[in-house]
Amino acid sequence: MQCVLLGVVTELRATTHTIEFPYTRTLGPVIGPFLTGLRDRRILGIRAGDRVLVPPLEYDPENGNSLEPDFVEVGPAGTVTSWAWISKPTRKHPLDRPFAFALIKLDGADTALVHAVDTGSMDAVHTGLRVTARWRDERKGRIDDIECFVPEGDGT
Amino acid sequence: MAALKDVAIIGYAQARNERRAQATEVQFLFPVINEALEMSKIPRREIGFTCAGSCDYLSGQTFAFVMNLEAVGAWPPISESHVEMDGAWALYEAWVRLQHEDIDTALVFGSGKSSPGPPAEIFPLQMDPYTLTPLGLDPVSIAAIQGRALLDAGKVTERQMAEIAARSRRDAMKNPYAQVTGDFDVDELLAQPYIAAPLRMHDIPPISDGACAVVLATAEKAREVCERPAWIRGIDHRIEAHQPGMRDLTTSVSTRLAGDAAGARSAPIEVAELSATFTHQEPILCEALGLGDDVAINPSGGALAANPVMAVGLARIAEAAKQIVEGGHGRTVGHATSGMCLQQNLVCVLESD
Amino acid sequence: MTDTADTDTVQGDEPVTMMEYFMSLRYSDVVSPPVMRFRDALLEGRLIAQQCPICKLVYVPPKGYCPIDTIELDERNEIQLADRGTVTNFTVVTPVQYYGQKETEPFVRASILLDPPGGMLILQDVVDVPIDEVRPGMRVEAVWAPKDERDVDEIGNRSGSALDGSLRGFRPTGEPDTPADAFSDKVW
Repeated sequence: MQCVLLGVVTELRATTHTIEFPYTRTLGPVIGPFLTGLRDRRILGIRAGDRVLVPPLEYDPENGNSLEPDFVEVGPAGTVTSWAWISKPTRKHPLDRPFAFALIKLDGADTALVHAVDTGSMDAVHTGLRVTARWRDERKGRIDDIECFVPEGDGT
Repeated sequence: MAALKDVAIIGYAQARNERRAQATEVQFLFPVINEALEMSKIPRREIGFTCAGSCDYLSGQTFAFVMNLEAVGAWPPISESHVEMDGAWALYEAWVRLQHEDIDTALVFGSGKSSPGPPAEIFPLQMDPYTLTPLGLDPVSIAAIQGRALLDAGKVTERQMAEIAARSRRDAMKNPYAQVTGDFDVDELLAQPYIAAPLRMHDIPPISDGACAVVLATAEKAREVCERPAWIRGIDHRIEAHQPGMRDLTTSVSTRLAGDAAGARSAPIEVAELSATFTHQEPILCEALGLGDDVAINPSGGALAANPVMAVGLARIAEAAKQIVEGGHGRTVGHATSGMCLQQNLVCVLESD
Repeated sequence: MTDTADTDTVQGDEPVTMMEYFMSLRYSDVVSPPVMRFRDALLEGRLIAQQCPICKLVYVPPKGYCPIDTIELDERNEIQLADRGTVTNFTVVTPVQYYGQKETEPFVRASILLDPPGGMLILQDVVDVPIDEVRPGMRVEAVWAPKDERDVDEIGNRSGSALDGSLRGFRPTGEPDTPADAFSDKVW
C-alpha cells in the first residue's frame, strides 16, 4: 500500500494488536433456564401476555413489564420467515461453509429466533421453508448447542 | 413547561472520507474541528459546551475518545461530554444542554476509523451476548435478512436497490468528502455476484475513516454571527426492541415516531439526508418520514458513498444544514441511526428563517 | 430427523447458570507520518520530538499537533532530544497474574525527564540497579539496542514511550542527583 505525502511516495506500515478477554457471564432466572433447556435439547419460550417470546426475555419488549418465568417448550421445528445467503462465512460464523442466516419462527412461538440454516445451496432456502434443529452431540448450555437448522425431513 | 429555546447550526465541516487513513483519528479530526469553528466565527475559548460521539471498539483502544479531546484544545479546562454513539446523539445532548440559560454555543463532533478492525467481528460484540454474539451475526448478514423481508413484502425490487446505489454514487461525485463515487450502470451492478444474498457489493456501505464537526448556537448568538442559520425546528430519537425477530424489519416505527415528534410531517421537506446504510433501507426510511418523490434524497451520496461510523449520522445533519445555509433551501431533514437494521433512529428537522 | 428419545441426550442434573465467551479482536493500525519519522530516527539511535513554537512543550513521540495551542505540527517543528536525563517519578509494579500478564517479578517503571531541550519518556524500564535504589533525582542514560538488533516494527501511533525494540531502558550514570526543585513542575 502506498500513499503520496508531501510529494513523497511512502509505503504504508501498520502495527497490529490483539484484544482478548475471557468473559464469564451469569445467566439469571430466564436465560439460565433457556440455555439449560438447550443443553437438554429443548427450546423454551416465555409467556408474555398472550404471546410466547423466543428467545425468552426477562421483560416484555412491548411494555417493559417484568415477565414471570412461565416457560413454554417450542419447536424443534419451525418456519423460515426471512433469510440471507452467506457465501463467505467469517471465522465467527456458526458454519464454515456457505449457509443461510435466518429468522425462524418455531412452532408454538410468536417471535422469530436468529440462527443458521444449512441447506447446502442458496436455491434450497426460501421464506416459508420448514426447518428443524440439528443438535450438537456435546452441549454446554449455549445457543450453538443447536449446531444449525436443517430442512425438515432431511436426515441429520 | 417553558418553551424550548431556538438552536441553530452555524458551522460544520467534514473530513475527506478514506478507506484507510494514514493519519490518526485525532490528526484528521484536528482540521475538521478548526474548520467548523472558523465557519461559525465563534472563538474556540468561547464555546460553552463540547460533546463528542465515538466508539473505542472501532479502533480497539480504550479511552481513544479521551485522546480525541486533544483535537478540541481542552486547556484551560472545558465543559465536555461524550456518547458512545454517532455524533448525531452528541448533537442531541448539546441541544438539550443549550436549553439551559447559561451558555449559548456548543461544539459537537463525531469521528471514527473503521479500517483498523474487522467490522464483521466487532459489531457482533454489541449484540445480545447470549443469543446473537455467539453466532457471530454481523451487520451485513442481518441487513441482508431485512432486505429479503422487504423483497418478500413487495416493497422493493433488487433493481430499485441498484438504482439507489447508482444514484447515490453518481450524486456523490459532487461531494468532495465522499469516498465511493462514479457513474455505475444498473444492469452491470445487477450482474455482480451476491455478497450476502440479496445484497450485492453496491448495496453495502464502504468501510470508511472520517469525522464531522458541527457548531450550535442559541438564537441571539446565531443571529449575531451567522447570515443564514439552519434552525433546529425539531429533534427526537426513538429505539425499538433489540431482538430482530421481535420487530417488523420492513418498517421503521421508531423513525416514524421520532419524525412525528420532530415535526417532519408538519410541512413539506425539500431535501432529506438519511443514514440508509444499505440500499433497501432508503425506502423504509422514506415511508417512515412520509417523503414523496418530490424530495431530494441524499444529494451528498449518503452512507453508501462514505460510511464513517460514529460520524455518518452527524454528517447527514451537517449536509441537511448545508442545504439551508449554502443551498438556499427552506426545510430539510437529517437522520441518524444506531443498532441493527434501523433499531434506533434520530430525526432532526431544519429550517431557514 | 430429530430424535426425541432420551437415550443420547446429555442431560445434567444441575441447571446451567454461567456462560463463557472468549472475545478476540485483531486490529491493524496504519502508522501515522510523524511516528514513521520517529521510528526511522530510532533506528539511527536518535530520539526526535516536535516542539510547539507557541507554548514550547516538547511532544515525544511526535503527534503532528499541539493540543494546548491547537495548531498542527510537522517536520519544521522537529527537534533532536538528549538521550540522558533524570528520573522524576517511578513506581514498582508487583505483577498480578491476570490473563495476558507476562511479568512474574516486581519491576520498575519510571518517568524520565530528558536533558535540554527536554521531553519526557514515561513507563521506562530502569536497569543495572537494584529496584530499591531507584529514586527521583537519579541521573540516567539510555540503553540502546545494538544497531543491528534495533526493531521498530512494534512502534505504532499509541505506543507512547514503549520503545523497547530499540531503546531498552535507562541505567544510572553515577552523576550526582538532580535537586528536586529543578524538576518539581515536570514530574508526571
